[in-house]
Amino acid sequence: MASHTRKALLSLGRINASSLGQASRASYATDKPSHASAGKKGFPDRGGRGFVKRPRRPVGDPRTEKMPVDQDWTAVYPSATSFRPNAVPLPLRMGYPMKRGVPPEKKGNLELMKIPNFLHLTPVAIKKHCEALKPFCTEWPSALDADATCDEHFPIKLDSTDYVSAGPSVRNPLARVVHLRVKLSSLNLDDHARKKMLKLIGNKYCKDTDVISVTADSCPLRQQNQDYAMYLLTVLYHESWKTEVWEAEKSVADMEEYSWEDSPSQRNILDVLVRRKAAGEGEGEEVREQLLGRSEVQEYKDSVTRLKNEGESESAVLQYKEAVKKVFNL
Amino acid sequence: MAAPMTLRRDLFYLTRILGGISHLGPRAVGACSGHRTNNITRSLLPLASSTSFHTTTVFSSTPSSITVTEEADTLFQKVSLLVKGHDRAVLDSYELFATTAAKELNITINKVHEQPKDMDRFTLLKSVHIFKNHRVQYEMRTHYRCIELAHITGCTAQVYLEYVQRNLPEGVAMAVTKTTMEKVPDHILKPLWEDHPIDNELSQ
Repeated sequence: MASHTRKALLSLGRINASSLGQASRASYATDKPSHASAGKKGFPDRGGRGFVKRPRRPVGDPRTEKMPVDQDWTAVYPSATSFRPNAVPLPLRMGYPMKRGVPPEKKGNLELMKIPNFLHLTPVAIKKHCEALKPFCTEWPSALDADATCDEHFPIKLDSTDYVSAGPSVRNPLARVVHLRVKLSSLNLDDHARKKMLKLIGNKYCKDTDVISVTADSCPLRQQNQDYAMYLLTVLYHESWKTEVWEAEKSVADMEEYSWEDSPSQRNILDVLVRRKAAGEGEGEEVREQLLGRSEVQEYKDSVTRLKNEGESESAVLQYKEAVKKVFNL
Repeated sequence: MAAPMTLRRDLFYLTRILGGISHLGPRAVGACSGHRTNNITRSLLPLASSTSFHTTTVFSSTPSSITVTEEADTLFQKVSLLVKGHDRAVLDSYELFATTAAKELNITINKVHEQPKDMDRFTLLKSVHIFKNHRVQYEMRTHYRCIELAHITGCTAQVYLEYVQRNLPEGVAMAVTKTTMEKVPDHILKPLWEDHPIDNELSQ
């Protein structure tokens, strides 16, 4: 009987304890009815809140321990992702060493996470990507290996720029600008057309490289600017072949280069030579023409033309000196 | 029922990753991430069988067929990539990537050089109100890298530029200058006044 009652009392006590426990647990209204979790974590001792933590799996070894040496790295980092210390089997350290220490390790290193990494673009990965991209590429024609051949067959060059940057908009207004460059010698122009073209172009022509450069940026789209530049070239070309009525009024001041015929220099030299000879023969057109035919006069003509067209240089002035000495037999 | 809820949440995260990866990168990458998906499914969902949670592969296994058109390919005499960034090390890595990719695709590289960096400095007042003698100075450094390629066709340029631009790291900008070569168009070969002589009086 006593043992019975003792057992009963014990069991009662146990029940009481458990009921007491349950009662106290039940008194917290926010308590989740998760009996399995309560068994693992035990009684929560946060006053007033009473939430129970989710059961956590034990943290295992980092993945780097299980990585074989000859693994496929492109499977670990197939695309651009942030740095994961447990997925990169390298003993990296990054950061400023504080208090005579070493740079911090890779675990929880913000600097390593912030900087863009190229772990997804190893040489093996690049080779794989390029192998897949090769069918979409075309070959450069082998006949056009030198720049000179390219210029000969394809003289018109169009320059345009594309911009890639992060921002609120993908568009960049500078992308509509188009530069067109053509060598003047590659266009089919005769002498008059060439001179007229140079006058029409003005400062868009570079004498040293013989290149016309036209910049088109007035239209909002690149294709429109390209079309406008080609249109300008076409108009210039056809207009320069036209001969207007008022072009007959071209004076000596409009000429691009110096021509010795009918110039003051020719008249002067002939006057001087005729006056030297005036004693002997009579004056007349034949005397002038005869004088013109002489080789010294031709040399003088060459030297004066060179001085006027190319500007003054040591050799040009010396040539002029020699020609003058020859003409006057000094 | 906490356990099944976590599983479902992971599944949603997975599909979002898959959706994100699928439209990134070329087809070869697709093959690799397919392999990776299976790994994830196996590791994160140990309790559920793979048949019950079926994630459809968004990318096809066979590449789309290549169409060849009769249209003449554009020819680029020079393509120059100017890459700008705040970090020199990032540009070093990117240069290595771009040059390796160009070599793999048989693109001739003319020159790879580094333009001197630009420093944008300005001085501001340190305090919100008064204290004019105490200032703070900031500077922004822009590093450059120029990669010049020569003799590229239009198709190759499109492929290479798209590949290189998709893998542009964050915080790096790029400017691509292309020089297209073109033949003299037919209407500039001869002056049209030979066939259609104009009346001079009209031009006045």
